[in-house]
Amino acid sequence: MSVHALHKHEFSHKPQPHLEVVPNLVRELGGITHLLTCGSVDDGKSTLIGRLLWDASDLYEDQRENVRRSGRKAAGTDLPDFSMLLDGLVAEREQGITIDIAWKYFDTETRRFVIIDSPGHEQYTRNMASGASHADVAIVLVDARSGVKKQTKRHTAILDLVGVKHVVLAVNKMDLVGWSEDVFRKIEADFRTLCWKFNFWDATAIPLSAVFGDNVSAKSENMSWYTGPTLIQHLEKTPSRVSEAGSVFRFPVQTVLRDGQDFRGLAGTVTSGSVKVGDVLVDTLSNASGKVIRIATMDGDLENASAGQAIALQLDVDIDISRGAVLSTPEMRPVAAQTVEARFVWLSEDEFSPTAGYLLRTSTDLIPISNIEIKALLDLETMASRPARGCGANDIAIAKISLGRAAAIDVFAETPETGTLLLVDSVSGATMAGGIATAVNSKAEKPAEGHFVLKRDMLANGLNRDLSMSSSDREEFMRRANEVAIILRAAGVAVAIEPPPPVDDGMDPGL
Amino acid sequence: MTASPSHLDLLESESIHIFREAAAQFRKPVLMYSIGKDSTVLLHLARKAFFPQAVPFPLLHVDTTWKFRDMIAFRDRTARELGLDLIVHTNEDGIRRGINPIDHAPSIHTDVLKTQALKQALDKYGFDAAFGGARRDEEASRAKERVFSFRASGHRWDPRKQRPEMWHLLNGRLGTGETVRVFPMSNWTEKDVWRYILREKLEVVPLYYAAERPTIVRNGQILMQDDERLQPRDGEKIEMRKIRFRTLGDYPLTAAVESNADTIEAVVAETINAQTSERQGRLIDHDQAGAMEKKKQEGYF
Repeated sequence: MSVHALHKHEFSHKPQPHLEVVPNLVRELGGITHLLTCGSVDDGKSTLIGRLLWDASDLYEDQRENVRRSGRKAAGTDLPDFSMLLDGLVAEREQGITIDIAWKYFDTETRRFVIIDSPGHEQYTRNMASGASHADVAIVLVDARSGVKKQTKRHTAILDLVGVKHVVLAVNKMDLVGWSEDVFRKIEADFRTLCWKFNFWDATAIPLSAVFGDNVSAKSENMSWYTGPTLIQHLEKTPSRVSEAGSVFRFPVQTVLRDGQDFRGLAGTVTSGSVKVGDVLVDTLSNASGKVIRIATMDGDLENASAGQAIALQLDVDIDISRGAVLSTPEMRPVAAQTVEARFVWLSEDEFSPTAGYLLRTSTDLIPISNIEIKALLDLETMASRPARGCGANDIAIAKISLGRAAAIDVFAETPETGTLLLVDSVSGATMAGGIATAVNSKAEKPAEGHFVLKRDMLANGLNRDLSMSSSDREEFMRRANEVAIILRAAGVAVAIEPPPPVDDGMDPGL
Repeated sequence: MTASPSHLDLLESESIHIFREAAAQFRKPVLMYSIGKDSTVLLHLARKAFFPQAVPFPLLHVDTTWKFRDMIAFRDRTARELGLDLIVHTNEDGIRRGINPIDHAPSIHTDVLKTQALKQALDKYGFDAAFGGARRDEEASRAKERVFSFRASGHRWDPRKQRPEMWHLLNGRLGTGETVRVFPMSNWTEKDVWRYILREKLEVVPLYYAAERPTIVRNGQILMQDDERLQPRDGEKIEMRKIRFRTLGDYPLTAAVESNADTIEAVVAETINAQTSERQGRLIDHDQAGAMEKKKQEGYF
């Protein structure tokens, strides 16, 4: 839709008809589904998205009128060209953004859908991985005439890597293969074979025609042999990541809130599991623990909170927990990781440099890296890895990282919400790569030759001598220590920060 | 067992998360407050994000001196009642040069009294992050916008310096001279904004509700005569019409719609049943092809 579409003759001096107040005005939808579409323009991607919008969404009438009036027809048919609805989006004149993802929103009767669109052309690995990291469900589009291709394999591999659990294979252009069940079944079988090696919870193939609308929102009359759901029916039933978050409680602390009196709230979003008043929580880094006495929000205190909710937790003891901590139950903690093995999608134009000085960003922590090595690159078509020492844009790299200090990290396959990572350039701040933790270890590697340890005494006596032992000053202490480590790292010095002494909070360690 | 969260609950939580990330990562943030419905929701979300603490950053209003009088009254009352730290900045140099939206092209007026004024204010106070209420659904050039949108020194938007955003990880580490615009409502739609205003019982500027107001029809658009600076030209006359506004800005640049929606419920109903998308009421967008995109590169939101 162009914003320049205002036509003077549309202006009317007549008062608007008095509108009925629609029942259930606030109409909150039952959730949000983020939908990634993978495929190239040739596979009919824009037409399929356009058709979804046309059939199932709450388009404005001026947007519909534009399509009708344009006279543009879908290739070889007398039907409107629904891909027009994506104009200014997929076909947008290039803005030159390196990672290029467009977001589009529409509502059906029951759900909000967010279409995440990333370009299908080459260089798509990093674009697609970036888009897929937000997706609850992905539509992998294939042309019925050509079926599952090499590109389909790469697409599914990327989806799996970043944690998409629901995949739909949209077998498009069924009209061009005579609506043949045999053709569809063959492609469906190939797709199932392909999906075996991945961790999808649900992989469904649907035969359709985006141009004619068969099985998009209306059941196809040309394919009576197909008894499964239409694409929209299937998407509406697909749960979102947040509603499927695991039961293990995780709460990355973003910031500490104070009301100037006795309230000290740990603010954050529950990323998985749930918490209730009375639960005992622990910060795995400091080993400090406390009991939840209040779950605060501006709309009143809560008795419990679960994945996706932004809250502030007040504990019964005033322990020194700050940004970067991940609260958990004492039994099911994240690892206080000193080393991390990870798979990264390299996003930056700049190649990996072993001496660049990178930082690792986790949910809410930013940690200096003391050493990082690329071990191998992953081939997305065969899923085989081959040894490598470096990597560049669009590579999938397997890396081993030693951290300058411990950070709370989970293995992505077990607790995905707190197992994601970014690699950040310490000087430019640029995001170099996005990745997932495949193994975490609380034991530090044996320090390499010439490894320099930033002693806390050394920092306290000089750089930090203006700081007290208050919790905000201790946070500042850590911030300065991090920055010193970053500078040393950038100068080529392998460096680690001496960990803080264990916290004695007077609590029974058995808690 | 609690009911699964609605889409508004999820959007609210996401916005709160973004506010907290930005407040924790940036040294000196500011909230761009433009008084309209989006700013009203933005401010409400900021209060929720830091409750029971006060909002830990000031509000900045870039005043072109052409806002509706009701907007200014609403702004001052909001700041007073909520105890907020409000900074009002005007490009005095532009005012002295007599730049105005009636005699000058909207693009010139906007550049001088909005874009330049905003840059002046950000530089004057040294803010490194500015929250804005922009949404990806507003306009095609915003559909690709990041939640953390980086600006090189001079507030220039460099497409190649925009950072990919994956999962919920927000990387706010600034390079030399960089600042950032933060959009906590990136994933909201216009309908969501109204539904949320209704749900949270938020007060908005009365201009959003239909009332009899003095109007002039110019170039097929209904303008409101908010003060004597806007006068009818040959062939135009001042007429009372029952109108309301879908967006609010500088009054000579903001078109009204004829409407009977004089309650929040009626406005929401009208918006949900709307036949046209909201920016049609904003005259600056029609000024030149790719207007919004160009303004963004120059440092407008």
